[in-house]
Amino acid sequence: MDIVRVVDELVCTRRVPGLGQASLRVVRSAQGVVSVATDPVGAPVGRWVFATTGSAARLAMPDPTCITDLTICGIIDQWDDEAAAQPAATEQRATGSGPGAGKG
Amino acid sequence: MKIMRVEKTLVSTNRIEAFGHRPLLVVQEKAGGARSVAVDAVGCVPGDWVICVGSSAAREAAGSKDFPSDLTIVGIIDHWNPEG
Repeated sequence: MDIVRVVDELVCTRRVPGLGQASLRVVRSAQGVVSVATDPVGAPVGRWVFATTGSAARLAMPDPTCITDLTICGIIDQWDDEAAAQPAATEQRATGSGPGAGKG
Repeated sequence: MKIMRVEKTLVSTNRIEAFGHRPLLVVQEKAGGARSVAVDAVGCVPGDWVICVGSSAAREAAGSKDFPSDLTIVGIIDHWNPEG
């Protein structure tokens, strides 16, 4: 799944019947790639979310016949913008962590 | 299948019902590389090098053919040298 940020809502009245009434969001990845995702969650603008791609995106919709290839699956509770923008700066090797360490 | 390193756990309270309570992990293909989210089917900890499957195999590996995952961790690599 991709980690992306909701940047805007997208209104699209004239659409193919296969898309149904699915709400759409404009999302942007940390690398700056802009895409459109269907949103069964109701993610607000500005939040970081994770989105599934490909055929799994259709299964993530309430109606699996929906024509989509990117669907928001959940809102990430906490995501550090700085870490997402500069992955190398926060890189640290996690060694010596015992069994179950860091499991939520 | 891809070789990836587990960076940290990902907490998402507000998620679609189909995901249930499956654990999610942030994984990276290499240090400082692009991040992805994977469903954890084995139970790994941050720092582990793992193998991940994509596409429809990811759905089946996560539990059922209807599970909406596109990246699932299917194994922990015992020994891996990222430089080699």
